[in-house]
Amino acid sequence: MTSLSVDLIASAILIGTIPRAMPILLAALGETLDQNAGILNLGVEGIMLMGAITAFTTEYFTENFVLAFIIAFAIGSLFSFFHAFASVSLKADQVVSGTALWFIGWGLSGVLYRFYFGNSPSPPVIQTLHHVSIPYLSNIPFIGRLIFGQDPIFYTVIMSLLFIHYFLFKTRIGLNLRTVGENPLVAKAVGVNPSLYRYLACMFGGGMAGLGGAYLVLTVVGSFFYDMTLGAGFIAVALVYFGKWKPLRVFVGSLLFGAVYVFYLTAETYFQYVPYQFIEMLPYLFTLIIILIAGTRAHSPASLGKPFHEE
Amino acid sequence: MNYLRLGQIFLSSLLAVLAGSILLSLFGIPPITGLTSLFYGGFFSEYGLNQTLQTMTPLLIMGIGLSVTFTARFWNIGGQGQYVMGSIISTWVGLSLSSVLPQSLLILVVLFSAFFAGALWSLPATLMKIYFGVNEVITTLMLNFVAVFLLDYLVVGPLQGPQSKALNAPASAPIPAKDMLGSLLPGGAIGYGLILAVFLAVIFFVLLNYTNFGYELKLMGQGYEVSSYAGVDTRKNIILAMSISGGIAGIAGMLQVFQINGVLLPQVFSDITTSYGYVAIPVALIASLNPIAIIISSLFFSGILTGAYSLELQYGIPIDIVTTLYGLVMMFTLIGMYLNLERLIKKT
Repeated sequence: MTSLSVDLIASAILIGTIPRAMPILLAALGETLDQNAGILNLGVEGIMLMGAITAFTTEYFTENFVLAFIIAFAIGSLFSFFHAFASVSLKADQVVSGTALWFIGWGLSGVLYRFYFGNSPSPPVIQTLHHVSIPYLSNIPFIGRLIFGQDPIFYTVIMSLLFIHYFLFKTRIGLNLRTVGENPLVAKAVGVNPSLYRYLACMFGGGMAGLGGAYLVLTVVGSFFYDMTLGAGFIAVALVYFGKWKPLRVFVGSLLFGAVYVFYLTAETYFQYVPYQFIEMLPYLFTLIIILIAGTRAHSPASLGKPFHEE
Repeated sequence: MNYLRLGQIFLSSLLAVLAGSILLSLFGIPPITGLTSLFYGGFFSEYGLNQTLQTMTPLLIMGIGLSVTFTARFWNIGGQGQYVMGSIISTWVGLSLSSVLPQSLLILVVLFSAFFAGALWSLPATLMKIYFGVNEVITTLMLNFVAVFLLDYLVVGPLQGPQSKALNAPASAPIPAKDMLGSLLPGGAIGYGLILAVFLAVIFFVLLNYTNFGYELKLMGQGYEVSSYAGVDTRKNIILAMSISGGIAGIAGMLQVFQINGVLLPQVFSDITTSYGYVAIPVALIASLNPIAIIISSLFFSGILTGAYSLELQYGIPIDIVTTLYGLVMMFTLIGMYLNLERLIKKT
């Protein structure tokens, strides 16, 4: 391999990483909120698919990407409402209800796609979001384009990342939320309503997963494919473990993952002697490895996945 | 109480299918017409019933396997990967030993190798959970992807048969006809694989309800700490349960090759209609993890799947509708079960 192609791979990774990391980051941030409140939502995969199909349809027919993101958020919240209802109000098993959401989203996104776009062999394409170059700053060599030349949603995501970090660890409500995840009885004793917190966290988190799907469609791929997330929702859940329930660590994890993903996209061209199926395994093997590294000393919210009994 | 529970599940499933059938009207089919056609195509036409009983075999076997780990609230979502590994190893062993062993012996060897392969594939997730506390849902799921890509490679690589190579088709060499499992009725309706599956259902019903191991698993379902206090070796039980569950999924993969397909074919992730490892999850859950009840739920689920094919052929309704139905059935039965139980507890 020549040094030129090494350069090409390196720059492709640097430029491609951030867009690839964003959908998973959005979903993982939502799941971080969820889990800090003690709710394990394994339906992220299905919710992302629903976000993707609704955002795609909205953008296709109205060409209004803000509306597309809003609708994707709403559908994510709606799906998670059912999860919250099952796991908070009914105290049902969260793994089961999450898996049910995954199946529903998986199937329904395909059904809706066929309803709107029929059975055409080549899917319709939408214009992906234009990149916004921030004047002057984006002219800084290398880093300039990387940080200041992304699409408008990127900046929103980074702001919400910082906001969620601030919210969880520096505000009273954030502390309450984490207490609900650790010990809902204590939270109740100090006058916090655990059920309300769990409902809101779950619905907001689900909305974020919907946004993740929307981002995937609107800015990365520009089209909808059946089951296009291919496990990204579960990888997002894995990132929460890797990030040890802290948003900034989750962000680092998502960047690592984005880099692996781009490497895998470019490697297929450059390592032709390796069967491509082995390269396609990479994101999943990588997830196994990072979750193993993180899992060794991870301390999860004590009441994660457990229903809250009032007595 | 038990009959009540069965009734609840039946009612919730029915409601879920009714709710799902509203989707049919999106495609201009009145829900009643669609439902009739779904059930006729799945259960009452001769071809449909035949197909349903075939699809039922892997679903039933994997459903039973999952019920073992699910009873201990250990979520093995990796049935798909274990099933794929079972099909790979059994094909490889079967093809290599076909000329050496007589059929009866070969099937036995293949069966054990498939069990071993499935059990082995479940091991990394088990160990990661036990020693590092890593969530098993994610690890087992990631291993599914790895297994499916491995299969993808093998059927165009080392395991590709000479005929498929000439046709450029991703498939292994066909299993010789003499090695294939037969069936009870002519036409292949009730294969020996299905009989084995029902037999396993009975065995596992006894295992879960009348043995110490089954009792310990149920205890673990109430919480690992509690059962540790009660003197249960939770680690040993998880390893055992997962190995059994994975091994049985491996056998399902072997039967798919040796009873139904006669050849090793690649898997498509997105295609739930062949991803029986995922379908087996709701199959086990809506049967309340009772192996005997899984006979019924697997029949129900495979019938819906077959029926959905005829819906697609007749009315052009996308087959994905069946995934939605599965999810809805799962959600509705979950809600149904917890809703009523709550009320019962409050009343008494």
